[in-house]
Amino acid sequence: MTQTASPHTDDPVYWSAQVTAVASRRDVDAFMRIFAHYGPRLQRYLVGLAVPAPQAEELVQETMLRIWRRAAMFDASRANLSTWMFRIARNLYIDSVRGEPHWLPIQDGLDRLDELPGEDGTTSTEAYADGVGLDRAIDGLPPQQARMIRMSYFEAKSHSEIARELHQPLGSVKSNLRRAFARLQAAMRNRP
Amino acid sequence: MNPHHHPDIVTLMGYSSGGLSVAFAAVVSAHLSVCHLCRERLRATDTIGGGLLGQQEGLALSEGAAERLLAKLEHTEPDTPTPPPESRRHDPDELPEPLWPYFGSSYKALRWKWIGPGIHHIRSHGTDDGHLMLLRVAPGRSLPMHTHGGNELTMILRGAYDDTLGHFAPGDVADLDEDTEHQPVTAPGVPCICVAATDAPLRFSGWLARTLQPFVRL
Repeated sequence: MTQTASPHTDDPVYWSAQVTAVASRRDVDAFMRIFAHYGPRLQRYLVGLAVPAPQAEELVQETMLRIWRRAAMFDASRANLSTWMFRIARNLYIDSVRGEPHWLPIQDGLDRLDELPGEDGTTSTEAYADGVGLDRAIDGLPPQQARMIRMSYFEAKSHSEIARELHQPLGSVKSNLRRAFARLQAAMRNRP
Repeated sequence: MNPHHHPDIVTLMGYSSGGLSVAFAAVVSAHLSVCHLCRERLRATDTIGGGLLGQQEGLALSEGAAERLLAKLEHTEPDTPTPPPESRRHDPDELPEPLWPYFGSSYKALRWKWIGPGIHHIRSHGTDDGHLMLLRVAPGRSLPMHTHGGNELTMILRGAYDDTLGHFAPGDVADLDEDTEHQPVTAPGVPCICVAATDAPLRFSGWLARTLQPFVRL
């Protein structure tokens, strides 16, 4: 499948608008733009988790169908589209590839908690931007930290497995990841 | 409930990336169900996953994938948004919801097994690694000094304990690694009930602990 480059692909606002179009008028074109852009990326993510390609494709389709069904529940003030898609794909992976039957219902239950006002009466949430700022921060991570972040997120390796593979003490894997998080979090807070 | 002790951010990163065992994920889920702050911290770790996903260079899908998806759309109706629950019930007999699949929903219905003076436990069902358990320790009792061969994640459900790391009350999580040696002392009054995930057996020091260890196999 050929992918047409869009001038907006880095812009979270553009993608949020596509979801809104799907939610408000079942806009198939907007939906297929999301698929053209994110479908292959989801496939890369799932194949990286060692899911066989045909099964990964099924999960990509399932992720997209969830977006179609739940577009109205997407809240652009709480997450960008790529974060929402990451969570859906990860949840489906844990459910169907790992076969953990309790994960999906537990995640749905936790999601619902924040539809209620907080116990202290607040509903305010910090907006995290995963746009250009986060991209730059990921690119700017020291190689060691970048490698650990990728092994963690894109190979779903436990921290002990990362430690074994890189021949490093577990403590240093954790402190590297902690430092990486601090840098990325700072970048997410500074919207570009 | 406003917990004061939270999981390490790297533990939440593990949860977000799918790198935690079922047992650890269960304890984190239980804490998330009572901790708004950690749900927010988790959102930040998920955003890293989203950022990485967006950066990925795609892997081509097979011929006809778009057409197959389009064909499915015709038979797929949007979910009807369910109204948010009116309020959270606070039934004091209820365990945190994420623990229900492993231990049931009711404290009263728990079937405790004696494993030592003042100590009872229940192993979870539904986790294949058997490293998730409830522990009930009588009030005002000190647990044997122990270290962990690996990591341990404990959340207090009822009662409280103190150790060198501080005071742990319901909702609090102790996120301990293999180097921690600690000796919790439970608070007077009510038994301390906690849920604990471990990835290796605890190692007790002292003769009583060594005597118990073969039976307990924590």
